[in-house]
Order: sequence, then C-alpha cells, then structure tokens
Amino acid sequence: MIFPFTAIVNQEEMKLALILNVIDPSIGGVLIMGEKGTAKSTTVRALADLLPEMESVNCRFNCAPEGPFCSDCLEKIQKDEKLDIINKKMRVVELPLGVTEDRVVGSLDIEQAIKKGEKRFFPGILAEANRNFLYVDEVNLLEDHIVDLLLDSAAMGTNVVEREGVSFIHPARFILVGTMNPEEGELRPQLLDRFGLCVEVYSIRDKSLRVEILRRKAEYDGDPKNFIEKWLPEQKQLAQKIMKAKETLNKIEIDNDILSKIVDITAGFNLDGHRADIVLLKASRANAAFNERQRITTEDIRKVAPFCLRHRLKRLPFEDISQESERLNEILARI
Amino acid sequence: MRFLQGYEIDFLEFVNHERAKLALMLNLIEPKCGGVLLIGPKGTGKSTLLKAFKSIVQTFQIPFIELPLNATEEAILGGIDIEKSVKDGERIFQRGIISKANKGFLVIEDINLFPIELLSLVFEAQGKSEIVIEREGFTFRELSSFQILATMNPEEGELSSHFLDRFGLCVVMNTIDDKDHRERIIKLSIQRSLSLKDKNELIEKIRNLMKIVNHVKVSDHIKEYITQEILKERVSGHRADIFLYYASIAYAAYLEEEIVTEKHVKEMIPFVIYHRKKQTLMERKEEDKRFETENKENDYENSGDQQKPERKKENSSSQIFESETNNNDFQHIPSSEREEIFPIGNIFPIKRLIFRRDRIKRKKTGNRSKTKTSGRGGRYIRSILRENPDIALDATLRAAAPFQNIRGRKDKIIILDEDLRYKEKERKMSHIVIFVVDGSGSMGVQKRMVTVKGAIMSLLMDCYQKRDKVAMIVFRKDRAETVLPVTSSVELAKYRLKEIPTGGKTPLSAGLLAAYNLIRRWRLKEPSSRFLLFILTDGKANVSISGKPIFEELQMISNTLRELAFTDIVVIDTEKKTNIIKMDLALRLANLLNSDYVLMDELRTESLTKLVNSYRSFQLI
Repeated sequence: MIFPFTAIVNQEEMKLALILNVIDPSIGGVLIMGEKGTAKSTTVRALADLLPEMESVNCRFNCAPEGPFCSDCLEKIQKDEKLDIINKKMRVVELPLGVTEDRVVGSLDIEQAIKKGEKRFFPGILAEANRNFLYVDEVNLLEDHIVDLLLDSAAMGTNVVEREGVSFIHPARFILVGTMNPEEGELRPQLLDRFGLCVEVYSIRDKSLRVEILRRKAEYDGDPKNFIEKWLPEQKQLAQKIMKAKETLNKIEIDNDILSKIVDITAGFNLDGHRADIVLLKASRANAAFNERQRITTEDIRKVAPFCLRHRLKRLPFEDISQESERLNEILARI
Repeated sequence: MRFLQGYEIDFLEFVNHERAKLALMLNLIEPKCGGVLLIGPKGTGKSTLLKAFKSIVQTFQIPFIELPLNATEEAILGGIDIEKSVKDGERIFQRGIISKANKGFLVIEDINLFPIELLSLVFEAQGKSEIVIEREGFTFRELSSFQILATMNPEEGELSSHFLDRFGLCVVMNTIDDKDHRERIIKLSIQRSLSLKDKNELIEKIRNLMKIVNHVKVSDHIKEYITQEILKERVSGHRADIFLYYASIAYAAYLEEEIVTEKHVKEMIPFVIYHRKKQTLMERKEEDKRFETENKENDYENSGDQQKPERKKENSSSQIFESETNNNDFQHIPSSEREEIFPIGNIFPIKRLIFRRDRIKRKKTGNRSKTKTSGRGGRYIRSILRENPDIALDATLRAAAPFQNIRGRKDKIIILDEDLRYKEKERKMSHIVIFVVDGSGSMGVQKRMVTVKGAIMSLLMDCYQKRDKVAMIVFRKDRAETVLPVTSSVELAKYRLKEIPTGGKTPLSAGLLAAYNLIRRWRLKEPSSRFLLFILTDGKANVSISGKPIFEELQMISNTLRELAFTDIVVIDTEKKTNIIKMDLALRLANLLNSDYVLMDELRTESLTKLVNSYRSFQLI
C-alpha cells in the first residue's frame, strides 16, 4: 500500500520535477535535497502508482522494441526469431544502501551453476532499472564503488558485465532519482552533474497546510484502503494528464526565439558543457506539454530553470551560490 | 548496560522514571507512537526498565527482540547461507533479527555505539516497513513493521539528528538523588517483591486500554493545536506533528478518556520534542537565521554579535550533547578583551599528507588510504583460501571443476570443503580529521586569524576531496568547545568555521583534552577509525584547567594523546615569524606530542614544487 501521490500536501516543486521526468525520461532524473521528515521518500515511492505502461520486449531487461537490445534479444535477432512485444508498467526500482556490487550489475546465476553446471547471467538492479526509475534514498551515503558503477552505466547507457566467467551486455538507461539530506554529507560532483533536475524541499511552516498533512496521514493510517480509494479519481486524472503530455511531447514546437532565450540564461553563468542547455530545453518542453500548450512559453522556462540550474551553479564544494541564485532570478525576470 | 540475566523486576514496582514507564506503555497501547529513546548516564536503570517491560510485552505474544552490538549486516537483515546453499544446491535463507521483530519491538541498547551503516539499514527497513535484501544474486523481500526501543548514554557519543528524528518519543533518565527513593530501590532489589496478582491486574488493564485506544476521537481543533504547538518549537520536518498526534491519542486512552484534549497534547509535547531540538548552539543559530530569512527580516551581519549574550545562557541550560570539557556552571567572566569574528582568508592547494597502509581490517569507506575490509561491502579484489563469511563462488566452482568426474557427478555439481574459496575485499578508508583551533586573543593580532581560517578552509577542501569526516574544536577564554561534532558534511564545517570568534586567553590543554575525549568516544563507536589531528596554534598557552603549572599540565595531556593508536598529529604553527619576535612555542608543543610540525605558511603546495602536479588549483571563493 502506497500513500497516494496526489494526497501529498504541497511540495509542488518536487512533484512537478518528478512528473516532468515521467513525461520525458531523457531529462535525466531528479535530485531531491531537503531536511529530514519532509516526505521525500514518500513522494518518490508514491510516483510508482502514476507511471504509464510502455511497449517493451518480453525479456528480462525491458528492451525497447526499437533497441538497443540485450545479449538475449540480439541472439534471437541473429537467429531471425521474432521478439515478443508486450506492455509493461514503468516502475520505481530501489537501490538499497547496503547493496553489493554483484547485485547492482548482475552476476553468475548461482542456482543454475550449481544445479546444471550452466553459466548463466543473473540480472542485477541495473537490468531491472532499464527504462524505469532508479531510486536511491540517501544517495550521498552510497558507497563510492557503487556510485562508480552507476556513473559508468549512466554514461554508457549499457551495462557490460565481464566477471565470474560470464560476459553479458544489456541496455541500462534509467531515470535516476536520489534524495539526500545535505547535513549528512555532500554528493560527489560527477554524480551531482548526472541529475537532470534538482529540487529543494523544506518543512512547511504554514499552519493550515500542516494540519492538512496531519489529517491526511491520520486518515490514511486509520484505513489505508478507503483513503486510497477516495483519492483514486485524482490519481487517475493526473495519470491521464501525464499520458496525454507524453503523447503530445514531440509535437511541441521549438522556435528559435525560445532557443536563444535558453542560451541567454545558461550563457550568463559560465557553465561547463552543454548539459544545462539541453536539460533546460527538455524540461521546458515537458512543462509545456503538461500544461497542454502547443509551444514553449517564457513561463515554462521560468518555471523549470531553477530546477535545471540550481545544482550546476556551484562548481566548488564550498561556493556560496546565493548571489548566483539572485542573478538567475534577475535574468529570468528579464527574458 | 546489558540485560541482567535471570533477574526479574516488576514493571509496576520500578521506582521513579514515571515518564519512561509512561512512554513505554503508550507505545504498547498505540504502536504508531514511533518507539522510545531513553537517554541517560550509566546506572540509571535504562536496561533494567526495558527488562521489566519485556516480561509484560511478552505476555501479549508481541515480539521483543534485542539487537546485539556485534550484529553483522547479514544477521540484521537476514540473507542466504551461501555455504549451505552451495553444498546442498538450493537456497537456504536465514531470517534476520529485524524480521523476527515484526509487529513488535526491536531493542537497541547503546544505540549511539552502533556503526552508522548498520543503523541506516535498520531505519531504512523501518521506514519502508519492508526488508529488502539485494545480494549475491538474490533478492528477498519481507514485510516487517516494528518499533524501536533504544537506550543511549550521551557521554559515550552522539547519535545523528537524522536517526533521532525517527524516534517518536524520548525520555531523559537521570540519577535519582532523593534518599528515600534510593532506599526503596535497594530494598526492591533485595526483596524482589513481585506480586503476581498485581502483574495480572496490570496486564488486564493494558488489554482494556488497547481496546479504548481505537475509539479515541481527535477533533479538528486538536489537530490544529498540535501543529501550532510544534510550529512554535521550530523543529525540522513533519514527523513531530504525527508522533505527537498518536502519542496524545495513546495518552488519552491511558487515562481511559475517549476524547483528546489540549491537556493531553501539552503533556506529550516534551516527549516528542526533546530529541528534535537543534543540539548545538551553532545549529540553533543557523536555524534561527533561516527562520529570520524566511520571515524577511534578514539581518545576517548583526545576528552574530547580538546573540552572544544568549550563548552563555544556553550553554548552562541542560544540554546533553556537550563535550565533557564544557563546564555547565560556567560563569561569566567580565572580560573587557576585544572579541572579533574574522573572515576566511585565502585558500590554497594543500601539500600532500599521506599515511601508511596497514593490515588491519576495517569497515570504513573513504579516500585517503586503502584498507582491507571485514564488512560485506567493498570491492572484491581476489579470492583467498582463508575462511571468512563471504564465499567467492567463481573461484569455488573453478576449484571444484577438475574433480567432477572423479567424484562421480551425475546432475548437481559436487563441492567439498576443500574447494571453498573466500572473497577478499578492499575499500578506501576515511580518516576523521579533527581541527583543534586556537581562538585566543593572540590569534587576532595583525588579523592572523584570517590567514588561519584560510588555512583551515584549504585543509577542509583537501578533506572533501578525500572524503574524510571532520570535527572542529575551538579553545579560547577558559575552555574548549566542540563547535562541530564528527560529520561528513564539509559544508557544515565551513559555516562553523566562519563563525569562530577570536579573543580571550589560551587554554591550550583544554583544547587537547577535548580532542582526546572526542577520539576516545568515537573509538567506542568505531574502533577501527583513524584520526588526524590538526592543532592550529601559536602555542602560547596561558590557562591551566587543573590548577597545575601550565607546562606540566601540557606535558601530561601530551603524553596521553601520544599514546593513542592510529592517531596522527600535526601541529601547525600559526605564529608570524619575523626576525625580531619568534617564540616557537608551538614547536615545543610538537616536541611534547612527538608530532609533525609545519609552519602555517609552508602548508602551500607552491613551496613543495615536486608535489604540485597532482592537484587542481582552486580559485578564491
């Protein structure tokens, strides 16, 4: 039983950032930063319920029908066998903190090896996460060598396994969602850069909202089934809205004026690489689609720019970015 | 203190600690109260109380499982018994401790001594109400919801606020000074006046309360009242509201009342709030600052000075997390000495500090030096014959392969003991870097402190890259203060550094003692950690803490510090060396400590051209 996404009070930034990623998975995930007890994990877990179905090959790695393919699918294609296409619901796959390396990348299938003496690949979490959300709670506490694995496959889009006598390759394109409490330690810059968006969450100080949180939580605890049912219409409505946005996404016009505005914003900050421009464009487009617009407006850019740029403004671990944030606001007001 | 063996004491007769007993009872009546943390020095009966509570809990067939301090990850979560699995050819699953605690209580005594990694696993499972094990090619899931009852003695170390926040209720247990009470305790321990009739009555009563709790009503007004009261306390997050809500319900039921009133809520507030309050002065200052910014009354520049009078007041209030050197009844010294807060000076790349790799197995991760690891994590580097819990399957199969025909294999592979190979793993290890900073008036001369802060910042940058944990101790006036408890947030360290004031005398030995205590306490929690102590001072000690002559006192403390294993000490001399004035007192300290000695101005890489290339140069902030 999962607390309904739509029943989570406020925290609109966090919710929007997650939704944008469902609409356009290539945005590249969200990093959610905030203090303890602000419904970070609850929100991410609640997202699962809203996720749409996707076409997928019926294999262990959720290969996309148009590829790239895993070793199993490639073998079938070589033998001219037809690939079985089915609909699968997108999922939120969790990466627990104490995970071992072999569980992340996959390993030799022990049972097969012992019973049949056969070398078979046993898929890891990266396989499950292909084309799904990969959620890491307290991502800043993840061990370094596990972070390396994530970075590797995020960069390549594939997971190549050469270990314990098995060699296997499969696509591993996941939407990385991480939560962290900055008080507990920093995140490695390389990993920080991997997140498309970044949002900050705070405790709500508004009394009436807090009462509402308490009321809903108490209602849910008292009778979860009934509560979920009560929120079902809202859930359905939002899921449909997301579906529709996904369909219209590619029809959205990107005019040159918008492109130059985006470049104007990013150029003002002396950012490394082009990832910021691309993410800003994609997120603006997804926001336009979510709001049922045919074209990207300045409003869209204003809305998503803080998510896209917040974690990229800071290049050194100790930099104070308050000035930069102000400048961002100025620039956004100008465009 | 561990559970006393074969000794039973009646919960009802347990003297005093009414609040602790109440908190436990409330959790038994309403499991959504979120567990209890008992805080208190040793010998206050924390364990005994839990033991008494255990016998009551068990009459309800509710699990009451203890988590031993030496528990491994495997033992806590459960896992596959690989050794058996390999031999028998099928998965043999072992249930973990927390799976046994399902729908009951998990007891963690001395929770602050547990490694953070293990506690993360426990709280992760609790947060999700599910145990998920992902390892060795298997995934295993099991639903498990449990409450945690924990004890801690704050003298032995801290517990991160992140973990504290997970507890619904918290009670401080102090030593009982009342003479009558003490006598009753002694009598009780002799008589063990356990009357069965009373216990049965209590159990009957609890059974009744468990029914009542389901009918307790909470009006909208009370819900508003709850949030309003929590908002006043300025704690972060929303857990406090929720736990206060359930605690109030349970309390109403406890009083056999069916409607929650403001009175119930009010009584419960201290239970819910105590452990969520900001613990150190600096933290509270930051919170206040944020609160102010939120209220658009941003007056950052002045806040530092204005709050100074408050500092002493807050220190003398009952703070449990303070270092031992902080004297609680510290008195105001009418000091006319100038006090200043200097900004952070230039930052520069630090010359390289390397440590020898040793052969001790550890559980730490980090980047400064590599270490063999004894936990289940870490990189699998090679297989070995020596037995340990981690079987290297590939190597084992390879070893068994050549003999399959001889052993007469039919279907499943035949593996004998002699084939078993084990994994050796390696992790990079982190150090805990402790900065002991001289904040005395002499550091303010010619704005020396600006350069010192710049040097510390540079060292912090180095720690960040190597993923060290850091802590900071400042000594000035008549005492030392741990302004930053051990943390991996270098960012936090920067904020604390910024706010270090300068002015007053130089209690150097107090600073060293504080460092010693910090190391000793951290060792209890993580015996294998390595420490790096940076002492930034000009060495001009002029306050003695014990009343002994200053030099003698320094010598004694230095000897104790020197004895600490796996602790490297570097004295960084902050004295401005000119031809005319040069006292070199810090050098004398370095000799006492038998430590490394560096002049602050020589920390830069530029002066050691050979080592520069491996480091990026940093810009100014």
